[in-house]
Amino acid sequence: MPDEAAPADYELLRRHVAGDADAFGELFRRHRDRLWAVALRTLCDPDEAADALQDAMVSAFRRAGDFRGESAVTTWLHRIVVNASLDRLRRRAARPALSTGDEQAFEALVAQDGDPARTSDTRLDVDAALRLLPPQQRAALVLVDMLGFSVADTAAILDTSPGTVKSRCARARARLLPHLAHLQGNRSPGRSVSPAQGGDTA
Amino acid sequence: MRGQMTHLDTDVLAEFRAGLITGRRGGRITAHLGGCERCTALDEQLAGVRSLLASVPAPAMPDSVAQRLEVVLAAEVAQRNAAGQAAVRGAAAPADQAERAGGDGARGPSASRRPGGNRGFRLLALRVLAPVAAVVVLGAGVYGLSHLNLGSSSSSAASSTAGGAARSAPSAVAGARSAEHANAPAAGPSRGTTPQSRGITPASFSLVTGQRNLTQAGLAQQVRAELLVPVSARSTKTPPRKLRGCVARLADGHVLKLVESVRFEGRPATLIVARTGARDTAWIAAPDCSDTYSHVLATTTLPSGISGP
Repeated sequence: MPDEAAPADYELLRRHVAGDADAFGELFRRHRDRLWAVALRTLCDPDEAADALQDAMVSAFRRAGDFRGESAVTTWLHRIVVNASLDRLRRRAARPALSTGDEQAFEALVAQDGDPARTSDTRLDVDAALRLLPPQQRAALVLVDMLGFSVADTAAILDTSPGTVKSRCARARARLLPHLAHLQGNRSPGRSVSPAQGGDTA
Repeated sequence: MRGQMTHLDTDVLAEFRAGLITGRRGGRITAHLGGCERCTALDEQLAGVRSLLASVPAPAMPDSVAQRLEVVLAAEVAQRNAAGQAAVRGAAAPADQAERAGGDGARGPSASRRPGGNRGFRLLALRVLAPVAAVVVLGAGVYGLSHLNLGSSSSSAASSTAGGAARSAPSAVAGARSAEHANAPAAGPSRGTTPQSRGITPASFSLVTGQRNLTQAGLAQQVRAELLVPVSARSTKTPPRKLRGCVARLADGHVLKLVESVRFEGRPATLIVARTGARDTAWIAAPDCSDTYSHVLATTTLPSGISGP
């Protein structure tokens, strides 16, 4: 992933491993909003997302010495966050969770998911629609379509092949289509189509 | 061209647009799209899904989550530091001494090793909150010593929240601060403005007017959380003279990070945090604390790395 901050990220991680008490915090704060978005969108639950992000942060703090530089630091951080999020989803899979793709819950969710300030926002519908997806599809879609990661970086984050990422994204988009088509007229004007519309960049 | 293939399935189109279908099959799809309005419309809708998803702004991390993570991170840093120190101390301190440090015998400056020289290794297994707890126990030693400094300690017995166990675990850092208190003459409000003091001095601070209820059990974490909110973002007022005296006496020329009216275990109190060397010290002062009466209900120390106002 082309990441202008990568050298500085790596330097912060190196300083952290060397014993600098502030370096990791600076690194984490730098990326926390995107890491939060990944956890929140993957888990579809703010409390769960906070727990997952905490698990991931502690894990990254302790395992920073294992980072070998095969990927960008941001890719490594996102990978830990995604794994922590998917772990949580697996653990709660026994529950009749909305996150596993319960079509019947969709309308109820749209009606319930509360903050009145944003009920007119497409975000609400998008959030609800995302819950319809299987976790692996959702994670891929969030990373590629919502956070703008390349297929290659997403494959690295999800520890899978680029082809699998493309496939998961394609199925996810097809599945969301009937639930989001009605929103497409509501988009803010002038919003460009996401990168590489004619095919996922690898 | 139309009629050469049936209409395209959404999944097929999505795979095609994802670059998963190429070659002759891909060519047929391209050709079909060129002549089929229905499938072209579907194709545009599919592209619209991507566009829509990209248009939803990423949510910013809520402040509550950010604060919580900062607390956990601070605990991780403290734990790592403790682990490093434990490794050093553990190499030098026989285990029996470390065990004995938990008892009443290990009191005062003569205990050159921190209590629990061996405890550091146990902390490693106690995960995130363990070092916080250790800090609270160490900091509570200040209470015992400050209490001795009261002169009129009998009058404050009702607020003896730190308990006797705390006295058995004096902190080298916090204990040193208390020793200064013990040696200091009765101090007036102006005493805090010593030549070497930097930043906010006790003579010029603002009192943050909060209603937070702090508790003995979670004090270190709660204080960390309070420090993460900039004073500039909170309502403040001019502190009363008595409180200025109390702050001057406790902070004793050190740079103040926060003075906030709080509740402690449900009762009115004042949180005072100052940078005291390598660690910050936080005091919970009772309402009758003054320039002549260090009425401290509880205290703790924190790594000074916490971002303060």
